[in-house]
Amino acid sequence: MGQTVVTAVLIDEAALTLEELAQACAVEPDWVVQHVRTGILLDDAADDVGGWRFTSADLVRARRLCQVERDFDANDDVAALVVDLSEEIRRLRRKLSAAGVK
Amino acid sequence: MEYKDYYQTLGVAKTATADEIKKAYRKLVRKYHPDVSKEADAQQKTQEINEAYDVLGDPEKRTAYDELGRGHQYRAGQEFRPPPDWSRHFGGGNGGFEEAMGGSDFFADLFANLGGRRRQQAPRRGDDRHATLTIDLADSYTGATRTISLMVADRDAHDQIVTRERSFSVNIPKGVTAGQQLRLSGQGQAGPAGPGDLYLEIQFKPHARYRVDGRDVFQTVPMAPWEMALGGEVEVATPSGKVTVTVPAGSQSGRKLRLRGRGIPGKEAGDLYLLLEVVLPPAATDKAKELYRTMAREMAFNPRAGG
Repeated sequence: MGQTVVTAVLIDEAALTLEELAQACAVEPDWVVQHVRTGILLDDAADDVGGWRFTSADLVRARRLCQVERDFDANDDVAALVVDLSEEIRRLRRKLSAAGVK
Repeated sequence: MEYKDYYQTLGVAKTATADEIKKAYRKLVRKYHPDVSKEADAQQKTQEINEAYDVLGDPEKRTAYDELGRGHQYRAGQEFRPPPDWSRHFGGGNGGFEEAMGGSDFFADLFANLGGRRRQQAPRRGDDRHATLTIDLADSYTGATRTISLMVADRDAHDQIVTRERSFSVNIPKGVTAGQQLRLSGQGQAGPAGPGDLYLEIQFKPHARYRVDGRDVFQTVPMAPWEMALGGEVEVATPSGKVTVTVPAGSQSGRKLRLRGRGIPGKEAGDLYLLLEVVLPPAATDKAKELYRTMAREMAFNPRAGG
């Protein structure tokens, strides 16, 4: 029986716009703008909001930020610190695993 | 479907206040957070806790949930059927919803479409969905097609909620790495202005031989002592096939050989690192023991000399 084939697009090859990122995180676009303006998302964002593009890593980071802010009523700086630490733990675990340490 | 005792999941009484529920949820979320928890089932627990809080933390969903259990002593796991008119009172207005891989049938059938934290003004697209897709490392080297299944809940001709499984094939592009996201347009939740999208986060199945960091792949290669001491060519099975590698004479355990561009492919392909590790042949026979004794006698080697 023929099965539907759905084409998957790799986010890093077709990065997300501001609106698409907001939709993917179930937040209003203002939430994204505010987090970019304070330097929590996108490192060196241009002034032109329409030109912002978000990668897979940005999407993962934005969703984690939303979750921490929502779960703990955390302000955005505290949430950013939690997510930074979490990303650092994951990076170190990958290094340990690559070095063959269980 | 099985009844879920969300109060039990969060460890609170049925009479708990909204504040008590929030407190219990936060405590459990911290305890089972995948980055800090040592529990083997942390991910599963986190999912259950989130599901329970999604319902009990939302006044409308909590009321609907309490209504479900009213007058019954349902226990967690018990076979359960919602009252016939329940969905008419509490069912969401979007006429169909989907739950992708995460979440129980109980949740998908009854609550996924209720309440919500977002104010809805104009008709808008359905929510995007997120799930994890676990693939073999080899799939990333070559690209692949995989079948995935979604639980889809819909209403039948009698307006009853029915759950069915929908499967489709999805292409895995060559060169994907762990953490990257694939977007499947229109495969998210249904909505008045069209369906949302489905996002799949790529993860690699743990492999006995290969470990991955970004695009770089690491592989431990067991070596005989003479191969390390004398050097030479050895054949190694790598993710991109068998390769012949020249091992320099005098290599020690822990030596790292880099095979440039043999990591995960891409515009900037990763590298493959071979970590050499000596494995001693067992001294299990008289002949083997004699060979070791000869080495001990003839080589006068003390690895602790000078240390």
